[in-house]
Amino acid sequence: MVPDIITARQARWLLIAVCGLLWSASALAFEDDEGCLLCHKYPKMGRVTEEGARRSYYVIPHVFGSTVHRNVPCTDCHSYIEQLPHREVKTGVTCDSECHSIKNPATGKNFSHRPIAKEYMRSTHGRKKQAEGLDADKPYCVTCHRNPVYNPNEEGPPKRIVDRCVICHEDKKFVTNWYKHTSRRIREVKRSSEEIVALCSSCHGNERMIERHLEAAKEEGRELGRKFSIAAESYKKSFHGKVTRYGFQNTPNCLSCHAKQDNYYLSVHFIRPSRDPESPVSTENKVKTCQRCHTYADKNYAALDPHPTDTREDNPFIYYAEIGYNWMAYIVIAMLVGLALVETIGRRRDGVGWRLHHGSTWWRHSRRGRDRVS
Amino acid sequence: MKLSAEARDVLETSMRINKVDDRQRTEIENVVAAMPDDRVLLYKNVVSNPIGDLPRYSIHIRIQHMLTFVTFLTLAFTGLPIAFFDHFWATPLNTLVGGVDVSRIIHRTLASVMILSMLYHMVTITLGPIQQAMQGRFELRRTIIPTFKDIRDFKQDMLYFAGRHMQRPEMDKFMYKQKIHYFAAAFGNIVMIVSGSSFLFPEFWAAVLPVSIVPHFQEMMRLSHPHEALLALLVIAFWHWYNVHLAPGRFPMQWTFLTGKITREHQIEEHFLEYLRNLVELPEERAYLLDLLAARELDENAKGMPESPAVAVTEGSVP
Repeated sequence: MVPDIITARQARWLLIAVCGLLWSASALAFEDDEGCLLCHKYPKMGRVTEEGARRSYYVIPHVFGSTVHRNVPCTDCHSYIEQLPHREVKTGVTCDSECHSIKNPATGKNFSHRPIAKEYMRSTHGRKKQAEGLDADKPYCVTCHRNPVYNPNEEGPPKRIVDRCVICHEDKKFVTNWYKHTSRRIREVKRSSEEIVALCSSCHGNERMIERHLEAAKEEGRELGRKFSIAAESYKKSFHGKVTRYGFQNTPNCLSCHAKQDNYYLSVHFIRPSRDPESPVSTENKVKTCQRCHTYADKNYAALDPHPTDTREDNPFIYYAEIGYNWMAYIVIAMLVGLALVETIGRRRDGVGWRLHHGSTWWRHSRRGRDRVS
Repeated sequence: MKLSAEARDVLETSMRINKVDDRQRTEIENVVAAMPDDRVLLYKNVVSNPIGDLPRYSIHIRIQHMLTFVTFLTLAFTGLPIAFFDHFWATPLNTLVGGVDVSRIIHRTLASVMILSMLYHMVTITLGPIQQAMQGRFELRRTIIPTFKDIRDFKQDMLYFAGRHMQRPEMDKFMYKQKIHYFAAAFGNIVMIVSGSSFLFPEFWAAVLPVSIVPHFQEMMRLSHPHEALLALLVIAFWHWYNVHLAPGRFPMQWTFLTGKITREHQIEEHFLEYLRNLVELPEERAYLLDLLAARELDENAKGMPESPAVAVTEGSVP
């Protein structure tokens, strides 16, 4: 039965609900002029794909409003949306699209990640967003780059700067955001060495993924780098890897050697296989790459293995040397401990003990009949 | 005691070197003759000061031991967590020594101190013998240089431990165990310095070695540095500490590394030839021993003689 008059208790709940809705509306940190949140504000917004994967299309307004893309209208990236409700999405967002709403202040053109996407497509990791087979193992932009959230603890501009800027720019919020945007780029915000190693290792240390590529390369008669299958593991065992693991920042991570250093932020997207002359670790470029840190490195130095291993297949010399070392250690320790035991038993038989008493330790009874004179 | 030919030679040499006069010679021969033939009775009956009775190490050697002792352990504690990074104890130990930013500084600084200590030792063992030789006091067998006698000593000692020989061998100032340990440490030190330098100055080693050798050399050094360190640590922990702390008769510790003195009991048992030199060099030791032998009724000279008040020394007079 539906009541025709609401009770005081129900009215109280209704008031709370209305206040909550008003509060949530006020919490939207970005403009939703296109009305996308009409649907995407619901946490249950999602579907189960044909493969059985659950996909959520929920957009949390106040979280998205704190991300680096907060000022980009949805349809700048989701440019295929032409009507609401929209049709089924086939391709999704690609990172080389143009933002029609954000202009590059230097060139006046529409802002785009296209220069980086172009380099990335030429790299060994390059793939289209919708990829199949082995290409699907390669990282797409979002594998490494999420939509980062600004750190709420990040310091805003000092009052003296805000006071100065608002005189002309009028809007305090604009000044604060602009300051944060700029200062964040002036400060070093690239990943730490540990994070870079962890990121690269998520694929290059994935045994199943490596196995797939090795098998495919074998079938196709393609050449892979000698260290392809052990790149992550061998780096972690190298001196560089060991100290990086402990948080030391002055040793090379993967990108220090495998990316060109002319423009770090661009070249890290252009990783080439070591057999490619364009790679910094190719035979042609290796010496120069080593010289980035090891100033006096020469061609002899470049012959050193930065990915040392001790497996029989990759490095039989060190494999057998290590076996020899281990056996030597076992034998030495066993012999010395054996000698200590024999010595203890032999001397105790003759009457020595552990108790130092009146300047002597030979108080025990000797089995050879020559005790200390009491 | 009737001395063996070897012991007699050591005694004669020592008396010659120390230019003993006839009175001293008679006194020394008297003490030697008074010692019981069963040497075991001698070291079983002496009274020893735990911190040492007889001189063994100069102040230089003690400083070098202290430098090596402190630097070696600290080097091991700062280096092993990096080499064996994937063991459960590695991260806590690395944190304990201040993290890699700190431990690398400690490691390199103390490595330099260890090298300086080694150089100091080399100067000592070079200038010391030169000075002794100029004074006509140098004896090769009194040094740590291995001789064939060490092999004989080792064999005889094993027979003694097995119960098939009544006496331990008459060993010199440095016995076979100490020689093994010394040269193992010297070899290990060189390996650690060379391999450590290959980490610190890889460009230098790459430049001076042929290109075909360079990768193998560097990899061998990468392997050797932690393995040699671990082996040395295990030898120290299981053997050296056993010999100087845990062995019966040495427990709870030998003070030689601090006082430079060895106990009388230990000297006679394991360094009898050096004890003979002590008898030549230290008149007070001769007097002590004669008193002791008389008090314990072990004086060989007194045996077969009518009891005399001169040898009836009370036990209270033995230091």
